[in-house]
Amino acid sequence: MARDRVIMLADCQSFYASVEKAEHPEYRDRPLAVAGDPKRRSGIILAACPIAKEHGVTTAERLGDSLAKCPDLVIVQPRMALYIDISLMITRIYQSYTDLVEPYSVDEQFLDVTGSLHLYGSPEELAALIQKRIQEETGIYTRFGIGPNKILAKMSCDNYAKKNDSGIFTLGPEKLAATLWALPVSKLFMAGSRMTRHFNAMGLETIGQLAATPLEKLKTLMRRRFGRNSDINAELYWRIANGLDDSPVTPGTHETASTTIGHMMTLPRDYGSLEEIKVVLLELTELVCQRCRSKGYMGHVVSVACMGADYSKPSGFSRQMKMDDPTSVTNQVYRYAIQLLKRHWDGLPVRKVGVSLSQFAADGEYQLSLFEPDREKWMALEKATDAIKRKYGDASIIRAVSATEGVGQAKDRSRKIGGHYK
Amino acid sequence: MRKKLEGNGLWESSRMMLPEHKAAINDHSESLKRRTRIELDEQEWEHVSRVVSESLLRRQPVAVRLFHPFELLTVIGIVDRVDELKGRFMVDGEWFPIRDIEGAAMEEL
Repeated sequence: MARDRVIMLADCQSFYASVEKAEHPEYRDRPLAVAGDPKRRSGIILAACPIAKEHGVTTAERLGDSLAKCPDLVIVQPRMALYIDISLMITRIYQSYTDLVEPYSVDEQFLDVTGSLHLYGSPEELAALIQKRIQEETGIYTRFGIGPNKILAKMSCDNYAKKNDSGIFTLGPEKLAATLWALPVSKLFMAGSRMTRHFNAMGLETIGQLAATPLEKLKTLMRRRFGRNSDINAELYWRIANGLDDSPVTPGTHETASTTIGHMMTLPRDYGSLEEIKVVLLELTELVCQRCRSKGYMGHVVSVACMGADYSKPSGFSRQMKMDDPTSVTNQVYRYAIQLLKRHWDGLPVRKVGVSLSQFAADGEYQLSLFEPDREKWMALEKATDAIKRKYGDASIIRAVSATEGVGQAKDRSRKIGGHYK
Repeated sequence: MRKKLEGNGLWESSRMMLPEHKAAINDHSESLKRRTRIELDEQEWEHVSRVVSESLLRRQPVAVRLFHPFELLTVIGIVDRVDELKGRFMVDGEWFPIRDIEGAAMEEL
C-alpha cells in the first residue's frame, strides 16, 4: 500500500516587499511598499512589508490611501524581472530537497517531500531547515503548510502557518474537526465573498457544516441557485471542505503547450477614438503574433476584447472570429481584429484592450492564397524584425504609428512584465 | 469543467502565473536535462577505433553513440569514410564529428 504523502505549500511573506527589503538593507526597519506608477493607472500597492501592514497598509489599495495612513511609507517601484529571478532561485533551493516542486504562483510553491523525509526526520524539521536556508540565502521569510495533499497544505498555510510564530503548521485529517471545520466558510480555499454569501444563504456558516452536508444534498442546494451546471462546482467545494484531493505535485505542469496566446493591457488613459484604439490593437496583435511565431504556431481564431472605461456602467465586448486560414502574420491577423473592433465597438471610451489567437496549427506548411500574393514577403520581413527584437529588445524596432505621441504603448510595454516595470 | 476534478485540474485552473515566469521555469527545467560530455579513456578509444575500422573494411553495420546536449543519439549504419584530418566520419553519406563519439558497438543483424 502506498505510504501517505507529505505535501508542503511554501509561501513567501510579502514577496515583492521582502525582495526589495533584502536588496535595500537601509530600509530594514522602515515601512516599505511596492507600488505601481499612479500616472500610468497602476498606482496600487502590490505588496506591503509587515511593518507597513501594522500601520494599516493593505495590498491592492490605492497609493494615496496608504500614504494617508502611513506618511513615512517607503515606496519602491516594482522590478518584476528581479522577482521572477528570486522566485526561481527559491525553486532551486526547494529542488535540492525534492525533485517534486510545482510553482503555483510567483511566491507559492508545492513540494512533495514524501520520498526525502528519511534523510531529514519529521516534516516539521525539514520545513524548518528549508525555511532557515531560504532566510539566509535570500532574506525572505517563508511559511510552510503541511498536509497529506495539496488542498490541506494550502489551507494549512493560509489559515495557520501564516499566523503562528514558527510559520509551520501541519494539518492532517485527524485535526480537521478541531481546526478547519470550525472556521467560517469564508476561509475556505476558492470561496470568494460572493460564494460565501451563497453558502451562508444555504444555511452553511462554517467549513464543517459544508463538509458534513451530503454531496447529493449540496448539489441540489447549488442547482437551485446556479442552475443545472453547478454539479461540478458542488463536488469541488465539497471535496475542498473535506480536505480531499489527489492531485499530484506536477513539476512539468507549465510545459504543456498553450491553447491560446493573448495579450491584454490597461491603457494609461481612456481612448475614445477609433484611430487611437487601432494603434494599440496593432501593437497587441504584433506581440501576440510574435509570440506565436517564436513557438512555430499559426492561429486560426482571433478574438478581440475591449472593456469600457466606466466601471459603474460596464460596457465593451469580447468577440472572436475564424480567419480564412491559420496564420501568424501580423497584418493578416490585424485585418480581422479591426473587423471585430469596427463591428462590435459601441463608441464609448475604452480602458482595456486585449487580443488573442487560438486553435493553433504548426507553421511548417500553409495555404497559398490568390489574394495574398505578398505573404512570403511579409513572413520574411517579420522574421527579420523578430530577430532584431530578440537581439536588441522589443522596443528596438517599432511601427511608425507606435511612435504617435501619447497613443502608442509599444515602447512602454516592452519595459514591463505583467503591467509593471521589469 | 469536469477537468477541475481530475488530475492536477484544480490547481491548473486556479493558479496565477506570469507568462515570463512560466517561460523562466521551463528554461530552467530544460537546462536541468542538459547532458555533459563523456570523456573516453585510451582503452575505450581503442575499442571505438576497432569497431569503426571493422565496419569500414568489412562493410559491417555499427551503432555509434554520439553526444547530444539533450537527447540520446545513436547513429546506426556502415561507416563509409573516416577523415582524420578534419576529425569526422561518414555514415550513409552524412558526416559526424569524431570528438562527439561516446561509444561504439557492432550492430547485430
